[in-house]
Amino acid sequence: MSFLMITGRTVNQGVTVENKTSPEYAAETSTCFMHEFDMMELGLDDGDAIRVTGPCGDVVMRAAASLEVEMGTVFVPYGPYANHIVAAGTRSTGMPDFKSHEVEIEPTDEEPKLVHKLMEDLGGLAYDR
Amino acid sequence: MIVKDAVCPFCGCLCDDIEVEVEGNRVVAVTNACELGMTKFMGEKRLKNPILRVENEWKDITYDEAIRYAADMLLSAERPLLYGWSGTHGEAQCVGVHMAELIHGVIDNTSSVCHGPSILAIQEVGHPGCTLGVVKNRADLVIYWGSNPIDAHPRHLSRYTRYAEGFFLENAFRDRKVIVVDVRKTETANIADEFVQIKPGGDYAVLSALRAIVQGKTDTIPRTVAGVTREQLIRVANLCKSAKFGAVYFGLGLTMTQGKYKNIRNAIEFISELNRHTKFTISAMRGHYNVYGSNEVNTWMTGYPFGIDFSRGIAFYNPGETTAVDILARKECDAALIVGSDPAAHFPRKCLEHLAEIPVVQLDPYPNATTAFCNVQIPVAVTGIDAEGTAYRMDGVPIRTRRVLSTDYLSDEEVLSRMYALMQEEPRP
Ligand code: SF4
Repeated sequence: MSFLMITGRTVNQGVTVENKTSPEYAAETSTCFMHEFDMMELGLDDGDAIRVTGPCGDVVMRAAASLEVEMGTVFVPYGPYANHIVAAGTRSTGMPDFKSHEVEIEPTDEEPKLVHKLMEDLGGLAYDR
Repeated sequence: MIVKDAVCPFCGCLCDDIEVEVEGNRVVAVTNACELGMTKFMGEKRLKNPILRVENEWKDITYDEAIRYAADMLLSAERPLLYGWSGTHGEAQCVGVHMAELIHGVIDNTSSVCHGPSILAIQEVGHPGCTLGVVKNRADLVIYWGSNPIDAHPRHLSRYTRYAEGFFLENAFRDRKVIVVDVRKTETANIADEFVQIKPGGDYAVLSALRAIVQGKTDTIPRTVAGVTREQLIRVANLCKSAKFGAVYFGLGLTMTQGKYKNIRNAIEFISELNRHTKFTISAMRGHYNVYGSNEVNTWMTGYPFGIDFSRGIAFYNPGETTAVDILARKECDAALIVGSDPAAHFPRKCLEHLAEIPVVQLDPYPNATTAFCNVQIPVAVTGIDAEGTAYRMDGVPIRTRRVLSTDYLSDEEVLSRMYALMQEEPRP
């Protein structure tokens, strides 16, 4: 199913942002808040893994029901998961389309990766000491 | 020991009434700060010493070695990018600009991915703004548009708007109306007197409709505009016109959606229209600690607020071309110095793929997502906690921040000054 993905700040994102290697930060920024009816349509329960595909690839997140989003729209806290699928074009402003991305969402059996793993997939080397 | 009136180094509110209890060189308790500020003060797991990536391993190195590495990396690059700067003080930002000029690099700050579009709009039509204190004491109407202070600036409501006492308001809680305009029904929307829910991407149209109503052209308004009924639009316009002093605070809901800076331009023009009837101001909800300061420092030193390219020997500015996301996505820079920010967590993946291919040095107290792409990371004092300097609040007021801890970490300014001194020793072509 197609959705409009919006990203933004949440308190939990802000609280964990200074500790990006923590499981809490990974859990918060890999949460995709959805309308309950949309979740029903996709056969999802709270916390189920989903594959979110954007204009430049896909990433696994977890679905969470939220009263804040409308049907057809999903909300993901700012962070490396949403950015994994956001396009880098800025339409001559310097600013990517962080709040207006069309994405496809489907259930999956895969687990969301850790932040370290996401970075290593792109050629980085995790530091955890 | 208790340090009074410390300044919180997390968000653009720069709350200056924080009490911090320090034992030895650890913060043990924090009063007055919100949850975000408190976690910032209590931060742990700092990097202990500079680290160097050798193949697939991390090696500990000395500050001297790390600073030498960074200076050499920047000197031998053809098109270096110096990015970040919002998490650090004005003093360090100044050194950054000098450095960029010396090596003919590009210097950009995180506003290019937050309120850069707001600045583009302000360059077109100006900025009818005011300080937070004026709003607190005078505003009887506050509009949050595309911003969600409860999550992003948790004390904005209690220090300046909804829950704040106002000198010229008898009963501020009753006399001050709050309108929230957003695509989501956020926590902030729940405490508003009026919530206007817009369909995503509809801000521009709604602003135009409100402008038309304020101009008296109510007949031209269709039954709904981007999901908002005509009746609600008229009600909101009337609330605005009948306010004695109104203030709009807009957030990334306007800068990051379709239309980007044109949304903000339209919002400013709506405020200009209202100023024919009453007194109204509009300001950006600046998120990252001293991001406002990076715009100020860059502007006094180069004439431009962000995305400044010195490759021609003089300052050149063209957002979309000289901004960090574009430069990385085009694979244009051949070295990057990152200070006071974490682009790996906040930039689209295509930018990270390029960071993985070029030498990168980061100055940051904590390991973060960008660490994975670093060749060298240099731990520094946390700005506003164990280093002091100047930061600009979201309303443009510069505040001298305090140092609440003493540690042996060098500040950003010290590390950058040492790098700059080494770079100046090299003969210039
Ligand atoms: S509102 Fe912002 S500045 Fe104030 S305590 Fe919270 S994070 Fe710190």
